[in-house]
Amino acid sequence: MSPVVETRIVTPDGFSSREAARFLWQLDEQRARLLQATRGLVPADLAWQQAPGMNTIGMLLAHLAFSETNLAQVGLLGEPAGHPQDVIGITEAEHGMPLPPGGRPPEALAGRPLEWFDAMLANARAVTHRAARALTDADLDVVVQRPPRPDGTVRRFDRAWVLYHLVEHEAGHRAQIQLLRHLRGA
Amino acid sequence: MPLRPPSRDFIHPARGFRSPEAAVFVASLDDLTTRMASDLRGLGPRQLEWQPAPGRNSIGMLLAHCAIVEVAWMGPATGATAMDFERVVGIGRDDDGMPAAPDARHPRALRGWRLAEYLALLERSRAFVRQIAKRWTARELEQPLRREWRTQNRIQHYHRRWILYHLLEHLAGHYGQMLLLKELMRVKAPARGKAGRRGATRARRKVRR
Repeated sequence: MSPVVETRIVTPDGFSSREAARFLWQLDEQRARLLQATRGLVPADLAWQQAPGMNTIGMLLAHLAFSETNLAQVGLLGEPAGHPQDVIGITEAEHGMPLPPGGRPPEALAGRPLEWFDAMLANARAVTHRAARALTDADLDVVVQRPPRPDGTVRRFDRAWVLYHLVEHEAGHRAQIQLLRHLRGA
Repeated sequence: MPLRPPSRDFIHPARGFRSPEAAVFVASLDDLTTRMASDLRGLGPRQLEWQPAPGRNSIGMLLAHCAIVEVAWMGPATGATAMDFERVVGIGRDDDGMPAAPDARHPRALRGWRLAEYLALLERSRAFVRQIAKRWTARELEQPLRREWRTQNRIQHYHRRWILYHLLEHLAGHYGQMLLLKELMRVKAPARGKAGRRGATRARRKVRR
C-alpha cells in the first residue's frame, strides 16, 4: 500500500481565535520543514558563506529567531520595545543582519552547533504561541503604530498582518536555507 | 530627519469571495506578488536568466514555475484531470525548466523574456485562481480531497484550505530564493558599468607593458 500523507490545516485547540490558531498551524508546519531542511548540518555548514556579504544558514536561523521574537513582543503582546535578547540570548548586532557589502558572518555565531540554533528558534516560537493563544478575533484587527525608525519610516500594521508576515517570512528564509544547502552540496 | 509617510501593512480580504478565509489567502498572494515585483524591478533578461551554475534555477525559471504551480493546483481543487496550461497562462507545464537537469541552462521557451512577461504569467495564473477560489464556501474549503502521486508512490489527503496555504508558502519560499539569487548575482557577476570598463582598460595596458 502506498504511504499516506495528510496535509490538512488543523485548527489547534487552546486558542481564543480560530484564525490565529490556523496561522500558528501554518507557522509550525513551516518550522517542521525548516528543521527538516537543517538536519545534519554541522558548524562549518552553518557558517559557510557563499561570498563575502552573503548571509549564512546560521545567520538566517538566528535572524528568524530574532525577528519572530521581536515581532511577537511588539506586534502581538503590545510591548513598547522589543527585547529578543532576553528570550534567545543574542542581540541585534550579534545576529549580524543586514551584513554590509563584503561583510563576514558575526563572531557570536561562529562555531555554534545546530542544537544552539534549534533552541533559539524554539524559545522564539514559545513566545509567539503564548501571545497568539490569548488573541481574540477582535484583537487581530487592532492596529499597532510603531515609533519612527532612525531612517524616518513609521510602520503601521494590524495583528493579523503580523501573523501573515511571520508565515511568509519563515517560508522565504526556509527556502533560502534549502537553496544555500543545495549550493554548498551539504 | 523628516518623517516618511507611514508604511501600512494590512491584508484586506479580496472582494467578491464567498469565503472570507479564501479572500484573505488570495489577498495575501497578491500582497506577496506586489512586493516581489517591486524587489525585482530593474532586472533585465540577462539577470533573469542568470544561474549560479548550470542546472541551478534562475529567477526567471522560478517566476514561471510559480505561475505554473498555481494553475496546476487548481486541477485537484476542481476535480479537473488535466489543465490546459497554454490556454490559461500562456506556456506549457514544463516550460519553467524545472526540475532542471544537472547541466541545464535557462529554458529556451523563456529566453529573452523581460520581467513584465514573467509577471504577466503570474497575473494570468492568479486570475485563474481567483476565478475559482471566489466560488468556494467555508464548507468547500474543508471538504476532504484525495490525490494519488504515482511517481512518488504516495497518497495525499488534503483540502482546499491547504491548497491556498500551500500556494502562499510556495510563492513566499521562491520569492526568498529570488532575493538570494539577486544578491548572489550582484556579488558574483557585477554589472559592467563605467568603472568596469575603466578597470578592464587599465588591465589591458598593464599586460601590454
